[in-house]
Amino acid sequence: MTHISLDQPIAKPRALPEVVVDRIWRFFCSVRAAVVEIAVLAVLVLIGTLRGSSVPRSIADAFPIMTPLVDGWYAWDVFRSLPFAGILTLLAAAIAVCTINRAPGIWQAIAHPSVTTTHGFLRNAETSATFTSAIPAAELAAQLESALRSGRYRTLTAERNGEIHLYGDRWRFSRLATFPFHLALIMILAGGIVGAAWGFRENQFYIPEGSVRELGHGTGLAVRLDDFSEVYREDGTALAYRSDVTLIKGGEPIESGSMTVNNPLTFGDIVFYQSGFGQAVALKVADSAGQVLFDDALPLGPFQSKLNPDAPAARMDLLPAGVAMSVIAPDENPANAPELDTLHLRPGEMFFMIRPLGADSPIAEPLGATVGQGESIQLGDLSLTFVRERRFSVLQVARNPGIPLFVAASVLLVGGLAITFYFPHRRVRGIVSATPGGSVARLAPMARRDWSAKRVFEQLAADAGRRIGIEPTLQTNEPDRSPAASNQLSRASR
Amino acid sequence: METLVRLSFYCFAAATIAFVASAACYLAYAVGRVRLRRTALATDAGPALVTHEASFQPASSGIGRFATLLAWFGVGFQAVSILLRTIAAGRLPLSNMYEFSTTFVLIAGVIYLLFERWYGVRQLGAIILPIIVAMCAYIWLLPADLREVNALIPALQNQPLMTTHVSLAILAYAAFAVAFAAAVLFLIANRWRVAWLPSPDLLDDLGYRAVTIGFPAMSLVLILGSVWAYRAWGTYWQWDPKETAALFTWLIYGVYLHTRSLRGWRGSRSAVILLVAFAAVVFTYFGNYVFGGLHAYGGV
Repeated sequence: MTHISLDQPIAKPRALPEVVVDRIWRFFCSVRAAVVEIAVLAVLVLIGTLRGSSVPRSIADAFPIMTPLVDGWYAWDVFRSLPFAGILTLLAAAIAVCTINRAPGIWQAIAHPSVTTTHGFLRNAETSATFTSAIPAAELAAQLESALRSGRYRTLTAERNGEIHLYGDRWRFSRLATFPFHLALIMILAGGIVGAAWGFRENQFYIPEGSVRELGHGTGLAVRLDDFSEVYREDGTALAYRSDVTLIKGGEPIESGSMTVNNPLTFGDIVFYQSGFGQAVALKVADSAGQVLFDDALPLGPFQSKLNPDAPAARMDLLPAGVAMSVIAPDENPANAPELDTLHLRPGEMFFMIRPLGADSPIAEPLGATVGQGESIQLGDLSLTFVRERRFSVLQVARNPGIPLFVAASVLLVGGLAITFYFPHRRVRGIVSATPGGSVARLAPMARRDWSAKRVFEQLAADAGRRIGIEPTLQTNEPDRSPAASNQLSRASR
Repeated sequence: METLVRLSFYCFAAATIAFVASAACYLAYAVGRVRLRRTALATDAGPALVTHEASFQPASSGIGRFATLLAWFGVGFQAVSILLRTIAAGRLPLSNMYEFSTTFVLIAGVIYLLFERWYGVRQLGAIILPIIVAMCAYIWLLPADLREVNALIPALQNQPLMTTHVSLAILAYAAFAVAFAAAVLFLIANRWRVAWLPSPDLLDDLGYRAVTIGFPAMSLVLILGSVWAYRAWGTYWQWDPKETAALFTWLIYGVYLHTRSLRGWRGSRSAVILLVAFAAVVFTYFGNYVFGGLHAYGGV
């Protein structure tokens, strides 16, 4: 039988939107959900990491039945996938909501902590210290307060049922450090979004020596590679390389500078990075009317020719002439496969080939010839001159307005972590009671299954005892490791 | 220069011997003495009933002190080895797997010995010293040409960032190794309640303290790595496998810290997370063998 008290107002049922909002809020506040989200993110990161390794291929080699799965694995770009973006968004929302939700409680613990405690708490504490004295309770409480303050503890007292309750804490503001840390995580994500939305990035900006290339992206800038130099080690690998460039705007040079790997050139908010280098060919192409179609340097390397796949090569479309032209340099690397080389070019030679481009092309068949440096040839209607060999530099050019956010986030993240870990909030509670012979005070730390906090408390009690001239009696209880106690600890930790 | 490099290697060899001996002593100290008791019921016809009983007793503190002394010897030799190589190369030895691992051996030894001093726990050495010995064995198995000092490739020619980024990675890995050792010992102490092993709460706390060193260091590794990537490659995050492996490790330790501080997880559950997290550390450490990408030069 259910009894309903008519004196109590019946709770008004909540509207559905309120219930839904409340549920969503609770979901985002849930530590369990946050832990699951981090774990899912970790699994996705692991999948993405392994995708960049030979592990999936090894799995497929060992278990051929897994080949379709492994192919799918390599094909799935995890870090640009919807699930990955989704879990990052979910986590960012959870961090924001959870932080907002925890803020009042944290502020309460800092500004208005509960001063009173119970004898049960002190009796069952894993460690506690008892100070017995012949002086009155108020005097003992004042001495203990003074001792705690000398240990840089803030003290608060309250009187209840004729007893003095004592609360002391240290480094209380460190509890706020969780906010900059979590804010930093959101700022890093925001920095990535800002950089992608309002910045630009050229991963392979090729410039042959002496050439000028437009940067684009609304910058109005062009880059001229004035000089390129490199130093090699004995084994033939590059030890250092440098590009000297001039930035041009409106046809006028506005700044000159150099860049090496690790030493980029910065112009305003645009940064130029040295990325790579290679061989280029300076050539001149003119049509039968003598009109120059191309007079510049062409970087060799990004293109692979079937005539020698290992050789540096380039390809470009000469649309006005209706042909595509490819240039192949000698293969000077002895480690390459000689059987693939069908051209056998000597140093100082280049192989030029034109192919028909489109239905209106003036040629029906590919035409090719080997040319020496400084020589000219006629291929179809075109006159080609191999002016000379040159170098080209590969730059990366980027503008990333998200960088300041990233820098600020880094400072907040590390600072927040350092404060949280190295300045933990230490709390002590106690009750000072009058006894027939004077007074007794019992103090205990708010620390369960926290070995360091207990040691800090024992040191504090010993120091306080020395200061007030009373040897404290330390009492320890075996920690309660039952599931119920763990759950209690879980609630207390929040 | 070659003489210095050779001397550096000899010091590493001496350190290896000291670490092997130290690991053996730590193991003996942690396991304790095994006493076999044979009970026989004597009759006129000879012994009628014979029983054997094994009992474990704590080892003498002398062997523990000797283990610590040997570990300090190992650290000393290794410090000299690193110093000589630093003089020979004109930089800290951090640029390839040989150099990284030799420096790791030194830092892991130092971090462990500091924790041993702070907590007064020698039994932890029975887990961490074998890890150090395993790393020494790995270094011995590396190709001999890695022992030579070579000029840095252009991407690594940034002394301040290479020193801080890579040194912090070593510090983080060493601290995580100590946390792992504490977790293993916790699970043993918690399961079998061996009287002379440290209390589970102490080990739990020690593991946590090690993570409070390793986690900020790992955060700085990711941050400084990003700063370096921004200077050298033009972007602070490339989703390179080595980067994401480090992020994966960081996330696992993030789970450990969250479950501990917000859900109050202590003990076995936290210890198990530490074991998983250390597996992630090993994966990140040796990932260069299977990773392609921008960190490929860091491999062997």
